[in-house]
Amino acid sequence: MSKVPASCREIEPHLLASAMGEAVPPAVERVRAHVAECRGCREELARYRAVEGMVHTVRRAPLPGDDATLARAQLTARLADLRSRLVSFGIFPSPLGPLLIGRSEVGVALVQYLPASGSLGGHVRRLLGEEAVEDPAATEGLRAELIEYLEGRRVRLDWVLDPRRMRSDFQRRVLEATAALPYGAVTSYAGIAVRIGAPSAVRPVAQALRWNPLAIVIPCHRVIGSTGDLTGYAGKRVELKQRLLAVEGVRALPAGHHDFKVHREAMYTLMNGEVEYCLPTCGSLSEHPLADLTLFGTRERAEAAGFAPCTSCRPDLHPLPA
Amino acid sequence: MESGLFSQVGGSGVSTGRVMAEDAFEAVVGAHHAEIRRYLLRITARASDADDLSQETFLRAFRAYRALPPGANVRAWLFTIATNLGRNHFRAQSRRRRAYAAVALEAPVGAPDRADGRLMADEARARVEQVIGGLPEKQRLAFIMRKMHELDYAEIGTSLRCSEESARAHVFQALRKIRKGLDGHLPVGTEPRS
Repeated sequence: MSKVPASCREIEPHLLASAMGEAVPPAVERVRAHVAECRGCREELARYRAVEGMVHTVRRAPLPGDDATLARAQLTARLADLRSRLVSFGIFPSPLGPLLIGRSEVGVALVQYLPASGSLGGHVRRLLGEEAVEDPAATEGLRAELIEYLEGRRVRLDWVLDPRRMRSDFQRRVLEATAALPYGAVTSYAGIAVRIGAPSAVRPVAQALRWNPLAIVIPCHRVIGSTGDLTGYAGKRVELKQRLLAVEGVRALPAGHHDFKVHREAMYTLMNGEVEYCLPTCGSLSEHPLADLTLFGTRERAEAAGFAPCTSCRPDLHPLPA
Repeated sequence: MESGLFSQVGGSGVSTGRVMAEDAFEAVVGAHHAEIRRYLLRITARASDADDLSQETFLRAFRAYRALPPGANVRAWLFTIATNLGRNHFRAQSRRRRAYAAVALEAPVGAPDRADGRLMADEARARVEQVIGGLPEKQRLAFIMRKMHELDYAEIGTSLRCSEESARAHVFQALRKIRKGLDGHLPVGTEPRS
């Protein structure tokens, strides 16, 4: 190949740009002036214009396999699935310390206590996985209701729940039975086992309640030990259980080291299956295990749950000392 | 019990922000999915790869969409995601012989639309496609983004994680190679048309 003159080398990028229609006007002018004098570059410009024309034709030509219909349909289905799994969450302070609420397209998926200090990021990741998006606005209404609830200004959380974080069908049954406990009432782990028709499964019930994805909303704080001890809650934070119960009118007094106890003799008592609530001393109630009973802290709560005062012991006439 | 706890319907706390974001994303899919798939079809030359990668592009985009600043260039952003996925895909397949020849997509139907029809012979067109298919990866991707999808050089630079100038250089280099690859198919000694 012969040596290319410097002027041709210099003009070459402009020549390309010119052929592509991308050159700025001064460069176009320079190219025009150059090719008027230089036959080689004139031909080169013609070739690049021809290339440009071919590329244009390739672009306009129908593309085999260019049918997005199937991919689009699959995408729509996968997006719907992803959306339904995606959790938006908010973290906010509460009387019980920082709380996280997560909601999916299905419903409220997660209510969890967070550590009061330390890095929340890792904790949240572990709870929610990678598909979570922090979006306080998405949980603001829930937050407001939950705060009202924790301050005793609201007794119901009528939330649509997303059950997909339940770990098993058994756990789901346990949590459903727990959710059925009225506001202001307690029973024992064994009581839940009885309610789900598995009276010997007391330990599995306690295990299932250890991981409650919907703390507070599914009131596992209303499930206590058969002796009345609160036993465990949210790891080792049994004081939270005591405070939640106090909000609902259930008194639990300090008992031993780091625990609290609900005293049966201070509680209105309902025999499971009955429609009337009693004084704890009525009949042979005091001989029944807590599993057979539901205890209420106040008459108001028992009556709000739909039970009438017993016509023999008359808790309405002889209320327990407040 | 089945119909108890988890099917309660109660009005509470549903923010509309989320819903709006999702509707907006529907619009993004509607506006760009076909083109992104076409781009992926051009760079992978396989409809099944284009199907998979285009879905993956939009699933990733969906996860990140809410973090996108308002007024962002969504189309260029989608091209960036698709380009990254495409390049990962090539890397994963690098041991396999890439069927670049297959990029020589079948001859298009219909007559050439240019006056100089003799240059638009199927043979020449197939040659263009073949040369494009054989370009180094960045040149090929830059060229396809520029000449097939009309992205600007800044957008191409973002997609390829290089400067605008490098993006332009990739496209120009691609053109030079196509021009060389077409020796014998191009007019010689004719006056340039204008």
